[in-house]
Amino acid sequence: MLLAYILVPLLGAAIMPILRKIWQKGTDSVPILVTVYQIIITGWIAYQGIVLNGSLNLERWILDQVLALRLDGLSLVALLAIGLVSFVTVLFSLRYPLDEDRRPGYYALILLAVTGMNGLVVATDLFSMYVFLEIVSVASFILIAYQYDEFGMEGSFKYMMLSAVATVFLLVAVALLFAITGGVSFGELAQGVKTGGPVVFISFAFIFFALALKSGMMPFHGWLPDAYTASPAPVSILLAGIVTKIAGVYTMIRLVLEVFGFNSVFMNLLLVVGAVSTVLGAFFALGQKDFKRMLAYSSISQIGYIMMGLAAGTPLGLIGAVFHFFNHAIFKSLLFLNSGAVETATGTRNFDELGGLAEKMPVTGTTSVIGLLSTAGIPPLAGFWSKLVIIVALWMAGFKFFAFIAVFASIITLAYLLLLQRNVFFGKIKQGLEGIREVSPVVYWPAIIMAAITVFSGILFPLVYDKLLNPVNSLLGLLAK
Amino acid sequence: MENVILLAILLPIIGAFILPVIGRFSAKIRNITALLLVTTSFGASLSLLGPVLSGKTTTFLLSMPLGFDLILTADALGILMALASSFVGIIIVMYSFGYIHHDANQNEYYLMVVLFLGSMIGLVYSQNLIFIYLFWEIAAICCWRLIGFYREREIVLKADKAFLITVFGAVAMLLGFVILYSQHNTFNLLEMQGKEASSLAVLLIMFGIFSKSATLPFHTWLPDAGVAPSPVTGLLHAAVLVKIGVFAFARIFVGTLQFDPVWMQILPIVIAASALVAGGAALVDTNIKRIIAYSTISQLAFIFLGLVMKNPIAIAGGLLFIIMHGLAKGGLFLCAGIVEHNAHTKDIRQMGGLITKMPITTVSFALCALSIMGIPPFGGFFAKYMIITGAVEGGNPWIAGVFILGGFITVLYVLRLFALVFLGEMRTDLVNVKEGSNTMLAAVVILGVLSLLAGFLVHFPNEFIQIALEQMKVGI
Repeated sequence: MLLAYILVPLLGAAIMPILRKIWQKGTDSVPILVTVYQIIITGWIAYQGIVLNGSLNLERWILDQVLALRLDGLSLVALLAIGLVSFVTVLFSLRYPLDEDRRPGYYALILLAVTGMNGLVVATDLFSMYVFLEIVSVASFILIAYQYDEFGMEGSFKYMMLSAVATVFLLVAVALLFAITGGVSFGELAQGVKTGGPVVFISFAFIFFALALKSGMMPFHGWLPDAYTASPAPVSILLAGIVTKIAGVYTMIRLVLEVFGFNSVFMNLLLVVGAVSTVLGAFFALGQKDFKRMLAYSSISQIGYIMMGLAAGTPLGLIGAVFHFFNHAIFKSLLFLNSGAVETATGTRNFDELGGLAEKMPVTGTTSVIGLLSTAGIPPLAGFWSKLVIIVALWMAGFKFFAFIAVFASIITLAYLLLLQRNVFFGKIKQGLEGIREVSPVVYWPAIIMAAITVFSGILFPLVYDKLLNPVNSLLGLLAK
Repeated sequence: MENVILLAILLPIIGAFILPVIGRFSAKIRNITALLLVTTSFGASLSLLGPVLSGKTTTFLLSMPLGFDLILTADALGILMALASSFVGIIIVMYSFGYIHHDANQNEYYLMVVLFLGSMIGLVYSQNLIFIYLFWEIAAICCWRLIGFYREREIVLKADKAFLITVFGAVAMLLGFVILYSQHNTFNLLEMQGKEASSLAVLLIMFGIFSKSATLPFHTWLPDAGVAPSPVTGLLHAAVLVKIGVFAFARIFVGTLQFDPVWMQILPIVIAASALVAGGAALVDTNIKRIIAYSTISQLAFIFLGLVMKNPIAIAGGLLFIIMHGLAKGGLFLCAGIVEHNAHTKDIRQMGGLITKMPITTVSFALCALSIMGIPPFGGFFAKYMIITGAVEGGNPWIAGVFILGGFITVLYVLRLFALVFLGEMRTDLVNVKEGSNTMLAAVVILGVLSLLAGFLVHFPNEFIQIALEQMKVGI
């Protein structure tokens, strides 16, 4: 079953070129089937509580080489988020104006990105992680520039260049660690890291830098707004919703947990970087005039929250971080879906040209309010619970100042999101927009799905905690001491 | 009985979301359903009254992870607030039928009003700080959408302002709750009974309470929120929403936690300043709804004064004034709504002599105004009298003196308002003004008459408040 997480989407990507020749209409259904399959399987594992107190493991010897995969509480949350976000991305893409001849290739790339993310999530060694990370990145570079437009090229190029820097650092760190420990699996690394020394410190620093860059934390965020804004609407949903979170945030959580432990120097650094991202990201978002650009800065800000939760270094903080990771995937892809719908309907993302759309686009307007309230951490939506847990964790861990920052940054979050609402949805309809109509159901249904998940995972928080977050607790056994 | 509490809360909250669906088919059925939801919730709270009168409380408990247990207790304080809120709610829903029947977005309007009342009921029964915060913010969301009801850019800006200020206070309060959690290792108020709260926590929680109850320095959103439809201002800014803050104070600091005596010096000064500043503003403003909003701020200071004094008479007076003020101020706003709706202006300089055109509104306004001013035998008099007496007995004659001055300013600005709007010469452009619709008039008459009756029958609420005090272990 674990292998299926990698092979099914990979197979889906592989048959795309063939399907394109023999049955072009069928290309639409493959990515939908693959992503739905992933949601169902992962949901079933969560519901059955299979990884409640342990993990699903797969170990096979192939030609003297071990293939080891693992699915535990943390991977479970990530896999579910990947499934959901890629599902709505595909759904949104169905009606998105793409060159019909190149559509199968586009789906293949999306499935390849899903393959990469899934592989990264179930990998148990640093090198596989690196390989899967590269698969995701390469697929995203092409997706961003898929329409051959100038901005897409520029955004893609920026992302590629900065990713290359991150990759080099990551690879060097892997090499260094391999040199001193003689292995790359998490277990071996954790053993080797215990000995300490400057090499370990340097490799940790390199990894930290690489992942901060990949996740777009301040001050390494330069590529992120350009890449999100320039990419086609469905691609930005995938990128913002899940790709950068898996590439940067998930890897960070996994490596801290299993290899480096809560090293106080790096945790403090992470806390500061996280706090800076949270506050500055929110302030930058306040000054934006472009729907997607504002959301991009908001992403930076929310990643800061996740990092602060992780850096609290307590079980509660970890749960908060993982939950916020999941919530962020849901509500941010919801908001990007809304921005895509607005762009499809009006042809612009500029606040100056928009206004009062809620009247004409009731579904988009209502779901955007839900996304907004969840992002700002207003109860009873899901974003509230995860932020609350992070704040409680920070306070209990003694980082009182950072708890203050986390609390008051949510005011700025609310401020820029209200600005967005006021400029786009809430208010009197702007002149020239009277003829706007709601987008087609294929485009708004994904938003309804995401909004429903946000609402219900907030209201049914005990259930979510039980099925999805409790397994995370068992991870602490893995914690490198 | 436990499930009745849930019914009182969940029926309006869940029912609210069905209203827009019904509204797509028939506006009439939607309106009636809205009224039914609020009435049933009122009835549910009323049926909880029985056990409380015999000295028992009803508790509903649902275990949740991480200490976020849902604990709902129907004690005397909670029921008092629930009854007051849902009663005014019923009247306001009724009044809305006439007031907004030709405006757009009615579905959203009824959704938000009923959801707001449901979350208010949830808040007053909650014994877990997290759930108090949760309902608090749901109320804030509703308030935001309702203030922005008319969708003009200026109006939406003011709605955003109100939302930002109250959420700022609320998250500060949330941090205060987290501090309490780290001190006592629980969010459950029942387990915190009689414990000490650290001063930082008190400060942060007061931010939340003052911002919601529009007290200096967080009061500026309230007059601005007058851009909302009048039933909303009546609901939010007079009778229900602003009482959330004072209620939370009663629940957390009067009924549960102890705080450092230094707050007994600081808080009265803040609220005295709030009373005077708002009273002064009400004397000079010319917008009818802004004047009443400023008056709300200054009257809230009276309630706070009652609750802050560690004195049973003052606290009883404060709780009594919550009810009296809710009835009277709700009535004033609704009367102002009729005036503004029919005269098509909010500027009191352009009004005058309306008594000949709208006699019923005028009389109702006068009844409510007398209660607010604290003239015997109206309800407001007893409450204010108890508050001032309690403050003097509590050893704060100076503060009591300031508040007597505040009461005098109240009389001045209410008389000025009444004289400018209803008395004097009829202006030529107002000769065609008509009285409000029947449901609207019924609403204001009920509130006006009740303001008077509550004074004659002050014995009943007072007895109930004594039970509440007993349950809060005040004065023992």
